Amino acid sequence: MKELLKKATEFEYVLPKGSRKGMNVDARIIANKFILDGLEDESVKQLSNVAMLPGIIEPAWAMPDMHFGYGLPMGAVAAFDKDKGIISAGMTGFDINCGINLIRTNLTLKELEPKLNILNKALFKAIPCGVGSKGKLKLNNQQLKEVLTRGIKWAVENGYGTDNDIKNTEENGSMDGVNVSTISDTALKRGIPQLGTLGAGNHFLELQKVSHILDEKTAKKFGINDKNQITIMLHCGSRGLGHQIATDYLKIQEKAAEKYKISLPDRQLACAPINSKEGQDYFSAMKGAVNYSFTNRLIMTQWIRETFEKIFGRKWEEMEMETVYGIAHNICKKEKYKGKEIYIHRKGATRSLPEKPVLIAGSMGTASYILKGTEEAEKTFYSSCHGAGRAMSRNQAIKSFRGNDIKKELEKEGKAVEATSPIVLAEEAPKAYKDIENVIDSVQGAGISKKVVRVVPIGIIKG
Amino acid sequence: MSFKIIEDLTSDVMFEAEGKTLKELFESSAKALFSIICKLDKVKAKTPKKIEIKANNLEELMFNWLQKLIAMVDIEEMFFNKFEIEEISEKKLKAKVYGSEIKPETGETVVKAVTNYKFKVWKEKDKYIARIVLDI
Repeated sequence: MKELLKKATEFEYVLPKGSRKGMNVDARIIANKFILDGLEDESVKQLSNVAMLPGIIEPAWAMPDMHFGYGLPMGAVAAFDKDKGIISAGMTGFDINCGINLIRTNLTLKELEPKLNILNKALFKAIPCGVGSKGKLKLNNQQLKEVLTRGIKWAVENGYGTDNDIKNTEENGSMDGVNVSTISDTALKRGIPQLGTLGAGNHFLELQKVSHILDEKTAKKFGINDKNQITIMLHCGSRGLGHQIATDYLKIQEKAAEKYKISLPDRQLACAPINSKEGQDYFSAMKGAVNYSFTNRLIMTQWIRETFEKIFGRKWEEMEMETVYGIAHNICKKEKYKGKEIYIHRKGATRSLPEKPVLIAGSMGTASYILKGTEEAEKTFYSSCHGAGRAMSRNQAIKSFRGNDIKKELEKEGKAVEATSPIVLAEEAPKAYKDIENVIDSVQGAGISKKVVRVVPIGIIKG
Repeated sequence: MSFKIIEDLTSDVMFEAEGKTLKELFESSAKALFSIICKLDKVKAKTPKKIEIKANNLEELMFNWLQKLIAMVDIEEMFFNKFEIEEISEKKLKAKVYGSEIKPETGETVVKAVTNYKFKVWKEKDKYIARIVLDI
């Protein structure tokens, strides 16, 4: 399938709709030569499957961090006509509103370095992470419903964060139109103990220092002024509640696809017409998980602030620990595009609005980026990539690397590392991922996001 | 009764479990699942929980069984390492599972879900086999 890709520009390749029977639109991939050479053939085929779905708006996009996923590749963007299109639990994925919050500080590396190890250990204690940690909050049913319907407005009213956090979060951290009856009891029960928990796998908390300022004017607007300034990156999602909602609606939408006679190129692309009960019920439930996840990240942000207060003996406001931005990278949204309403699925992809921050996480131990969106991102429905993207399976990584060796290597580089188990460090070994620099060069080359700040980790916490 | 983890996908984990009977197949599948979630030998089989699962066919029964166990980790905040299928047909099972409270030192990783990818349950000569891909 890969051999059918045609070079459109140095950073864009197109799979014309005639390449495979059933494709309704072209598929396009953002990649430089290096990324293109490493693409898995199967992930290109998955993208062509997405191009077959009814009501898809041209083209189906894949970002340079694309890799094989369920139904569609991770790093994909698919927009649908509001009247003729579909909405899909499969295309949003299991980890609904997995995303990133970036918090800045006015601390410098020099101030932080003497306290790095003790701070990293204190954060590891303050933020429940891994599969074996219990949450610190136990919501009651009413509180959970408030979180699901109101997102971070609930959090701020209850002492977690401020109005600035609301202002600096995608969708202001709260999507409207959640009807809690569309969420199963099992999903609700899974949501109760886990609010304020990081999870495991590729989720992480990182202390970072600014290594390069690449666009000084924009960096200042985002509150980043100096090299060696300290930032904090939090990457996690909607936990068991989101996983359960995805599982529930994959089943419901598999039946719906049959009922509405949608021919699925792959059963994992289970979907329903946007204007159907199965479509709108999913949209409501998914938005509940989105709100839960935004709240999850803000609660942990507040605990991070409190931990800094303890270690540095100063108020977090004094340390200017403001949210630079909070974004989602697994989500389905109704957005305005060229004056029309569309439903857009971003799976392993980030919104990229002109001049707004786009946060891209590198793999463990490597650089991450703050980019800004551009006008040119109109072509990708204002979307960009989300991370480095895996290049090696988790199992392969576990067999290739030893967690304790990875830890030693990172520590040799002066980084503090805390993890619940060495296996997670092996799984997430930097070499198991694509090179972030090629991913970023591709989106910059394609013009859909521009570099603003590069940060590198100095403290790593893994679940 | 046994299982093996198979290398395959970029972001996930696949296993194959087998058993001479359906009872053995379902018990070994659950064991395979928890070998990924936690350190099986460090979990104590002390607290029993009863489970009843219904489905339209054997594959759905397997899917619902594993999915139920994944949900129970979050809801009960427990890891399980002993599984007793008390009654089983192609459409229904009753089981007692044993485990203990989750602890950071006994955990391995979060399994998000059972997926449909390459999902299959079949009979081969004198044994049943299940192939399962988990999103982790």
